[in-house]
Amino acid sequence: MSGWSVEGLESQVDGFRLGPIDLELPPGRAVAVLGSSGAGKTTLLRTLAGFLPARAGRLTRNGVDLTDRPPEERALGYVPQGLGLFPHRTVERNVSYPLELQGRTDALAHTRPLLERFRLTAIAKRYPARLSGGELERTALARALAAEPELILWDEPWQALDVEARFELGRVFEELRETEQVPVVVVTHDPSLAFSVADSFLVLRAGRVGLRGDATTLLSNPSDTFTARFVGFENVYERSSLEEGRPGSLAAWLRERAGPEGIAFARPALPAVGDPRGAWEGGVRSARPTPEGLAVTVQVENLSVALRVPPPLSVPFPSVRGRVRFDIDEKNLHPLGRTGPSSGTPP
Amino acid sequence: MSVGGTLPFRHRLRTGPYWLALQLVLSGSLFLLFLLPIVALFTYAPPSRILAAAGNPGVTAALWLTFFASGIAVLAAVVFAIPLGYLLARRAFRGRSIVESLVALPVVVPHLLVGVGLFFLILPGSPLYRFTTALGFPIYDTIWGVVLVMVFVSAPYTVLAADLSFRAVDARVIEAARSLGAGPATAFLTVTFPLALRGIVAGLLLTWARAVSEIGGILILAYAVYPGGPYNGPVTSTISVLVYNLFQAGDLADAAAVSSLFLLIAFVLFFLVRLGERSGWVPWRRGELLP
Repeated sequence: MSGWSVEGLESQVDGFRLGPIDLELPPGRAVAVLGSSGAGKTTLLRTLAGFLPARAGRLTRNGVDLTDRPPEERALGYVPQGLGLFPHRTVERNVSYPLELQGRTDALAHTRPLLERFRLTAIAKRYPARLSGGELERTALARALAAEPELILWDEPWQALDVEARFELGRVFEELRETEQVPVVVVTHDPSLAFSVADSFLVLRAGRVGLRGDATTLLSNPSDTFTARFVGFENVYERSSLEEGRPGSLAAWLRERAGPEGIAFARPALPAVGDPRGAWEGGVRSARPTPEGLAVTVQVENLSVALRVPPPLSVPFPSVRGRVRFDIDEKNLHPLGRTGPSSGTPP
Repeated sequence: MSVGGTLPFRHRLRTGPYWLALQLVLSGSLFLLFLLPIVALFTYAPPSRILAAAGNPGVTAALWLTFFASGIAVLAAVVFAIPLGYLLARRAFRGRSIVESLVALPVVVPHLLVGVGLFFLILPGSPLYRFTTALGFPIYDTIWGVVLVMVFVSAPYTVLAADLSFRAVDARVIEAARSLGAGPATAFLTVTFPLALRGIVAGLLLTWARAVSEIGGILILAYAVYPGGPYNGPVTSTISVLVYNLFQAGDLADAAAVSSLFLLIAFVLFFLVRLGERSGWVPWRRGELLP
């Protein structure tokens, strides 16, 4: 029994109930916890970290039960939202904090390799108030690693990290898994980070596991509107938004094929402008060039549909307020909510 | 202090001349109100007179008494008021609002009433009177009476400041410390308390200022302080009572001289604290200052 194991974990905070959650975290495993606001992501992490008591279930490390141990005895690096850096300590003294707690007299000397590794040496004497977002993040990670944790809990520290810092964060996690074999649990709203870091996903819905599995499961089987949007479907319709469509309309056509929650599909390709084929017709609201081609939004009655013209960008662009015809391939439709919880392959 | 570590932006805002003029007029008026009485005092008390007051044993005894008693009041605030503030900030219990209101009460009660209330509490012959006397802390007309009044009127400032400061510490920072291996006590000593310290120190300064400026309760409980306990000078009282007596006796120039002397000392003390804060030398401002 190597690694961490979560079995039937439940907890409660202010009337919100989380669980039961099952999770296996062998060395090197990275799990991304996803879900809309209030789904219980932070509650899960705080329960794992020991700040919320478990009402049921177990948390074990290498077979040792840690469920009732206080946070300081769990040997995990918990990075809370906002990073939780100590504003009254410099970068190096933030990083040396866990070593000082262990009573090491040479704590500062021991932090040097970590500072070096996270490129913090030049700013070692600065206080967190004077750091950029990426620097703060590296400091928090270096500090968490200084404690030599056996599990990292990362609670989406920044809602919006700049592109480079995000890229770097992904690289650091990669390194963590490969060289230190420390399992990581990441809570994030950022699909690009999640897909670059995690090898399995746990989608929470109202405190329960909505979906779990690897990236392929998530992409091929988005179970709800949140997951569908998260994995990049740009046409996601809740069932209620399709109710008004009259017979023969696009809304009615989608409603017949939707699951209990709604339906999702990727941007259909837009045929050449002026092509009279296509089952549906809509008015062009916008047409913007993007790395993936031309992103076109059309209005079909009360529904807004995202389409694309694959690169290379063809000239002429569809003109705004012009009308275009397009098809939606039935094979690409993903009914939502039909699959129920815990479908797909468990991690 | 909340999220990560961004400081509030302190860019110089571009504003027009009228706005600046309005600011100058309004804040300048208040500043003048502070400054002019001090100027008046010093015009009545030439430097020679102030120096003479500084050398007068009665005045130095009163100064010593005032600073010593207020120092003990600050110590009492450290020992008792900070824990109460922490309790109010961190624990939800029945009747917390009542406790909070009671704590704030000494701030609003006229201080002569405080003296009268304490007078009835330790009426000679009462159990509390006998108790304090037996312990070696007689209250009436002793330095302990001064201390008692000072603590009563001044400790609330530290309780309130500690309450607010402990509340302002981001719980996630404390949780991070716990997760890194700190037990509850260690996390308090290394994170919570240092982060709350700045506000607490501000509260202690207010406590000290309030203690030093107290007169109402002292007039009733310790109008004339006799030697005893840590005090063994001539019969006198605090600076404020001394100035009150001089003024009542028509000795205006001496009243002005003693007041000026005290103001000088207080000004120097506050100025030193400010300098310490600005230089980053004091521990409670670390991390907020420019490098």
